[in-house]
Amino acid sequence: MRNSSKLSRVLIYIGLIFWMFINLFPVYWMFTFSLKNNAEIFGDNVIGLPKHWLWSNYTSALGTGNMPKYFLNSAIVATATIIITLAVALMATFALTRLIWKRRKTLNKFFMLGLTIPIHASIVPVYVTLSKLNMLNTYWALIIPYSAFSLAMAILVCTGFMNEIPRELDESACIDGCSVWGIFLRIIVPLMKPAVATVGIYTFLQCWNELMFANIFISESALRTLPVGVQALSGQYTTNWGPIGAALVLATFPTLLLYIFLSRKIQESFMAGAIKG
Amino acid sequence: MKKILCILLAVCLVFGLAACGKKGDGKTHLKLWCIATESDANRPAYLDAIADYEAAHPDVKIDMEAYENESYKTKIKAAMMGGSSEDLPDIFFTWSGAFLGDFVDAGKVQLLDSYYGPYADAIPEVMLANTTYNGGHYGVPTTFNIVAMYANMDMLKEVGWDHVPETYEDLIACCDALVAAGKIPFGCAGKETWCVTEYLEPIIIKTIGYEALGKIFKGEATWNDPDIAKAVSTFQDMINKGYFDPAGIALGNDEVKANFLAGKTAFYQNGSWNTGEVDDASFKSAVALFPVMNSSRSSYDQTIGGPSDALAVCASSKNLDLASDAAIFLGKEICHYNYLNAVGLPAWIPDYDTSSLPALMVDIADIVAKCEGMVLFGDTAMSADPANTYLSYVAQVYGCEIDGEGFVAGLTKDLG
Amino acid sequence: MGVPPPLKEWENRIMNKLYSRKIHIIVFLLPALILFCGVLIAPIGASGYFSLFDWNGLGEKTFLGFANYRELFTSDEIGFLKALGNSLLLAVFSVFLQLPLALGLALTLGKKIKGERLFLSVYFMPVLISTVVIGQLWLKIYNPDYGILNVFLRSIGLEKWTRIWLGTKQTALGAVFVPTLWQYVGYHMLLLYAGVKSVPPELREAAMLDGASDRQVNRYIVLPYIKPIIRISVIFAVTGSLKSFDLIYVLTNGGPLHATEVPSTLMINMLFLRNRYGMGSTIAVMLIILCFGFALLISAIFREED
Repeated sequence: MRNSSKLSRVLIYIGLIFWMFINLFPVYWMFTFSLKNNAEIFGDNVIGLPKHWLWSNYTSALGTGNMPKYFLNSAIVATATIIITLAVALMATFALTRLIWKRRKTLNKFFMLGLTIPIHASIVPVYVTLSKLNMLNTYWALIIPYSAFSLAMAILVCTGFMNEIPRELDESACIDGCSVWGIFLRIIVPLMKPAVATVGIYTFLQCWNELMFANIFISESALRTLPVGVQALSGQYTTNWGPIGAALVLATFPTLLLYIFLSRKIQESFMAGAIKG
Repeated sequence: MKKILCILLAVCLVFGLAACGKKGDGKTHLKLWCIATESDANRPAYLDAIADYEAAHPDVKIDMEAYENESYKTKIKAAMMGGSSEDLPDIFFTWSGAFLGDFVDAGKVQLLDSYYGPYADAIPEVMLANTTYNGGHYGVPTTFNIVAMYANMDMLKEVGWDHVPETYEDLIACCDALVAAGKIPFGCAGKETWCVTEYLEPIIIKTIGYEALGKIFKGEATWNDPDIAKAVSTFQDMINKGYFDPAGIALGNDEVKANFLAGKTAFYQNGSWNTGEVDDASFKSAVALFPVMNSSRSSYDQTIGGPSDALAVCASSKNLDLASDAAIFLGKEICHYNYLNAVGLPAWIPDYDTSSLPALMVDIADIVAKCEGMVLFGDTAMSADPANTYLSYVAQVYGCEIDGEGFVAGLTKDLG
Repeated sequence: MGVPPPLKEWENRIMNKLYSRKIHIIVFLLPALILFCGVLIAPIGASGYFSLFDWNGLGEKTFLGFANYRELFTSDEIGFLKALGNSLLLAVFSVFLQLPLALGLALTLGKKIKGERLFLSVYFMPVLISTVVIGQLWLKIYNPDYGILNVFLRSIGLEKWTRIWLGTKQTALGAVFVPTLWQYVGYHMLLLYAGVKSVPPELREAAMLDGASDRQVNRYIVLPYIKPIIRISVIFAVTGSLKSFDLIYVLTNGGPLHATEVPSTLMINMLFLRNRYGMGSTIAVMLIILCFGFALLISAIFREED
């Protein structure tokens, strides 16, 4: 009995470590080949650490295109999307969970439609609308569609959190003469802080990766986002892997570094979404 | 967490406002969209031509935006479908033939006839044929290209050849010798089907002749021609004999070209825009056409090619006259620099010194001078839907999913 | 709280009155409705309308009725059924391979194992990497000449196992599925792990006291408890598979020979390469119907089981 449980424990660890290896190896490989020349990548030294640390790859990746700018653009778009999604979702959730009216269950279901709609299905009509509103080629061209597509998930998460705030709080505020806005802004919103982080993470995952909208709605190279920039750069260095690796690393490491520092917080917020949603 | 968000929000606002700022340099700005990205061989010509134009017109500024080839197709079509004049460029790069034709039919492109007046003698009418619709000129050719077969003469010499094989029998013998010596004759990028047409179309034209193929591409004749099936079988025989690098099917054109330039394959058949790069390679290079397959219908001096790249002007441009004049000026100059950089043949008659051209470019110019007939690339000549149907059959040929009969039967059924 | 019942009722009435005012309801819902209808619902309506036409997006429209839908399902040349089959196959792999793996990891890590946090952090990492980066990275991994996969196979003497992974019809689909599934294992794992952690410890302990083994605790206590989360995971996995686009676009864009085509790549192809805007809209409508239908179906299946 004892032996077998020890054995199974060892097996479990082997499995866990193996899966960890599978997750880490591609990132390790990306990092090392970003510092090698083609000769090393293609034969001499495929998986080892680079023999000559070729930082010049990073200079080329930074020189063609504009990775820091793309990164900043992505960060701006993601931040604004998160803020707008959050504001709109909090208001809608307040109406859906607190305010009293007949069809709120139906409307909630209607919003949940958004969880299943594929983002690409709306590409041309959205393009036409944005064009009419004169918003193409601005950050708004991405922020607005991304917010709309993140809304369903945000409402789902916020509903879970908001239902847990006791109604007695509303009541006592109401007796104290608070208006609806007062209750919303002074009582509900401050108590929704945990939801902010959770919605933020889900929204980030939704909009950080998006390629198609970003490619079509933005034509000025100064406004390009990271996925478009990485895709373009890889097209330019098809056969010289070092700079591609450098570009991939530049696109990835800031997020990963942030993740390493905030991993506990990020995971907890993400998990809160699972429970509350 | 809150602090980070606040900082990011502030940054966001600052940049949001900065993006709204007007360009206040008092110049008229013309937007130019093209595919001359930093890795594109056409880029220097674009930059030089723009510099020339701006020098001649100090009050005009050309804002060039370059996109990667495939995403550009998506982009320009989305802009044409839904964009207002704000979102469309003034001047845009386009492929001639049906690609531009769809935009012309929809009334999105400016007719350039009245602006061509001063240039009447600078460009032969035949070079404008692919951008002429209902008798009107809508495009400005920026270059002119044919499909050429480049050869690594150092590699051929190792197996006993001192010239590029000019008959099919010689080509086979040469390829067999290469294979026997453990070398790969050809590389062809399967990931980009247009690269496969660069092999298949020359074989077809050398089997059925340019007149017949031209009619088929234009939809005036049927695909149902047993000789096309034969041409396809020839191509597939070459694949099955191991003349093509098997890894090619998963690679893009840039990677296949790099293999040729690095001496991994002996031949590379592609557009003549590669001439400069091949000329710079470390080995001795030569250029030729694919040999004749059926001398009763075709001849050596026929090839696939034509002026397929052009500039056009959006009808929605706010500065129509200026943009139209600029487009013609730029087209002519891009063509000029492209020729001197050995990335394209001159669609416009050269009015400059060409004595410094690389030898390989001179050879191609000679081939063109001797040419008795040419057909534009199939996917450019056909309109979008049939062109993609055609490309999907071509891809199946390269993957040996269908044989010659299947190719002909399928295209006859789908395209007539 | 110690409020007497009549007063409580009075408070309730005031608040209900405050909370029932139409103007508040409208103001609070308006931004969400505008955003939602403007970007999601109206385009669906537009797509539905355009799907009835033969239109290249630029010129005249020709009304066709449902001919586009008929062609979509009958034409071998478009190959919609095959593309749909591919994404359903991905959904099957996702539900029966990716999710069990994620669930296994979640259950294992949920048992307070040593290094729990480290494992958790590493497993979630791929979710945070941009899909384009993952695509480019795997392009390099699969490269027939220099890719790490073929190099590895050659180095351990399995030369004959090397393949042109993304270029051969037989292997391309599998090669595209691997990174797609790999990237989101961490996502589902963390969702499920959250569920496992939310199981009240008393329940677990009580079962342990009754002599239940680990496996039995998982089977009879944990799994039933986290069923709602499993349901969400399954819905995300299936609709995510139907919607999959970015990674496939970067890796193969539907090739070779349409072997890795999925409805989204087909749709973009119709819209922007073939200029068949009507047919592209038809695919968009079908995708929405399918995603929604599957979400309902999965919910129904889970309800059935209760």
